[in-house]
Amino acid sequence: MARLLVQLKLRLLLNALRSSRAARVSFVISTIFAVLLAVGTFVALASYRGTSTSVDLTAVIFTVFAFGWLIAPIMVFGVDGTLDPSTLALYPLRTRRLITGLLAASATGAWPLANVIGLLGVTVGLASGALGLIVAVIAVGLQVLFCIALSRFVTTSLASLLRSRRGRDLAAFMIIPLVALYEFFTQVVPKAAAEGKITAASFTGFDSWMRWLPPGLAAHAIQDASQGRPGLAFARLGALAAVIVVFGWLWVRSLSRALVTADTTTQAARVRGSKLPLAGLGLRGAVAARFWLYQRRDPTSLIYWALVAVITAAVSASSLLGHDRHPAVILASAVFGAAFVGVFHANSAGLTGPPFFLEATALSSNRDLRAYFSGQNLALCVIGAPLVVAVCFGLAAAVGRPGIGIEAAPIVLAGLGAALGLSNLFTAGLPYPMAKRAGTPMLVAAQGYGAYRLGSVMGTLAGTAVAATPVIVGVVQTATDSDAIRIGVLWPCAAVYGFGLALVGVRLAAVAAAGKMPELCQVAVRSAMT
Amino acid sequence: MMTGLLRPDGGQVLVNGLDVWADPPAAKAIMGVVPAEVRLFERLSGEELLEYSGRLRGLPAAEARSRAAQLLNVLDLTEDANRLVADYSTGMRKKAALGCALIHNPSMLFLDEPLEGVDPVSADVIRRLLTRFVASGSTVLFSSHVMELVEQVCDHVSIIDKGKIVVSGTTDQVRGGKTLQRAFIDLVGPRAHDEEVLSWLGSSSS
Repeated sequence: MARLLVQLKLRLLLNALRSSRAARVSFVISTIFAVLLAVGTFVALASYRGTSTSVDLTAVIFTVFAFGWLIAPIMVFGVDGTLDPSTLALYPLRTRRLITGLLAASATGAWPLANVIGLLGVTVGLASGALGLIVAVIAVGLQVLFCIALSRFVTTSLASLLRSRRGRDLAAFMIIPLVALYEFFTQVVPKAAAEGKITAASFTGFDSWMRWLPPGLAAHAIQDASQGRPGLAFARLGALAAVIVVFGWLWVRSLSRALVTADTTTQAARVRGSKLPLAGLGLRGAVAARFWLYQRRDPTSLIYWALVAVITAAVSASSLLGHDRHPAVILASAVFGAAFVGVFHANSAGLTGPPFFLEATALSSNRDLRAYFSGQNLALCVIGAPLVVAVCFGLAAAVGRPGIGIEAAPIVLAGLGAALGLSNLFTAGLPYPMAKRAGTPMLVAAQGYGAYRLGSVMGTLAGTAVAATPVIVGVVQTATDSDAIRIGVLWPCAAVYGFGLALVGVRLAAVAAAGKMPELCQVAVRSAMT
Repeated sequence: MMTGLLRPDGGQVLVNGLDVWADPPAAKAIMGVVPAEVRLFERLSGEELLEYSGRLRGLPAAEARSRAAQLLNVLDLTEDANRLVADYSTGMRKKAALGCALIHNPSMLFLDEPLEGVDPVSADVIRRLLTRFVASGSTVLFSSHVMELVEQVCDHVSIIDKGKIVVSGTTDQVRGGKTLQRAFIDLVGPRAHDEEVLSWLGSSSS
């Protein structure tokens, strides 16, 4: 069974590689990253040799790997056919044989191998002596086994949930902390490390609690063996093995249950107040109401808004953390935040997908399309303007200069008008199908349309920046005026200017879309939303 | 192409005398469409979806709500009216899509495989609604591979093979004294395969 499932996993991989060039490119990139992970981890662990905090740092890295094993299968669930036990439920397989097979399938691939190679860096960084080396190799093996057992137990327990709509929504939201973590590690950590705020000594306290976690047991077993305490080392390894057995047993139980438990999709929730709002605004109101409800209920839309907030904050976070704070960089946050509202909502037909047909059957004239685009903008503006302005005020407050928030607000209003107008123009002028791809719950441009996506993103960013320039100049020119005057004059002027820009975008987009509804429908049909 | 959603390479489509591609807004106004693979706005409730469809078609909000409630009742979806479409079964989706297509009272309804994957109760509801719609003088044009269904509900039939109409006429004319299934196979040609190679099938030995 183990051999069969390993072959199945390899066959799925090969078939995916044969299916498209994008899949091959993706595989090559993924393998390169796996190699980088293996080499990077090995070098990092090896470099701790002789440092006083080597065991603490090793425990941290082992824990991070376990966390990665916990999250990654949830993110890619539904892609790897060997991961979902229900795909094997029809076959007459004993649970024990199935588990051996699934375990072997889990350990197959570039990433598990990269884990083993990378973690073997402890043989250089932490282990010393023959006993230390032997224990290090055993500890790495047990650590990877622990990761697999933990990951399998969680995935199997969540299997029925993750096949449901709510489960997939839950998995989708995991991208938000991941993006926030990415921004933290790329924006904040390098800055803090360069200023000496993060050193190896910063991890000293971690050991007090991390040593009791399974990854900590593995790290400390290596240290004990290297320092001549074989009894303690093997006791720790024994404890780790016991934890693996417990997770294995829990996995057997959850697997047995998962194979005979119904899908939870049917346990549906009801929505409150099942009437569309904005009844008095005609077609524009209907479209605005639909978009408004989607911004609240669709996880992808919620993720986009969270990303707008994260990006707005991240643009100026690194500058604000340094010794030489430049609060004016918050104005750049205002431009980027507004621009990304447009970036994420350009290509409306592709983002809506096949249901766009329903709208297309009713949208024909120029007037209808103006109502469609302006309704969409209305819903996005109601959320986007306060969100980006609030983040800018938050950033300004964080650096003790709330006045900067007053300067950022008119830039947001003008930038948002420009970004929404541009997103309408790109929806009509540069439509492309969207797809969901392995490893991410987000929609991406379908194969072969990457350049369209890039053009739309860069166009919206550059266009928004250019369009916001007059307001930025206005903000700078009135820097010495009182806040009351700036709020009373600059804000309304910027709002009217932004509204005008959005109006121009809506009108031009309606003219462009009226002549190409069939093309927009084709883009919508070719977009895979699930 | 007939519904004005996908551009044809050539030819002309007339619906109730209106040229679909010469005046798409006028043609779309008298049509209702239910595609084979029903993809609706999953994050709206059934009631919101029908109301949205009505308001898209230019109905005042109050009228759209009223018609949505009536259609949901006839389609036996009232109990599930405030559940998200994402949680609907295939039959419920088909019925909701039919409601969306009917809410503006079109004179022509296009359906693609309307009963595929639909449970018998939902199929009966859909069939009765279509019969009532046709009895009022409106037209239903649907495509299906289920010949028994076509035989039961259609007055006129066209059989298409490899993109071309091979026969067209009243149901009785097309079936010519046989079942429609037999007439279809005779016209399109049976695709026989050598069954000798499956000699092991049906024996108790593996």
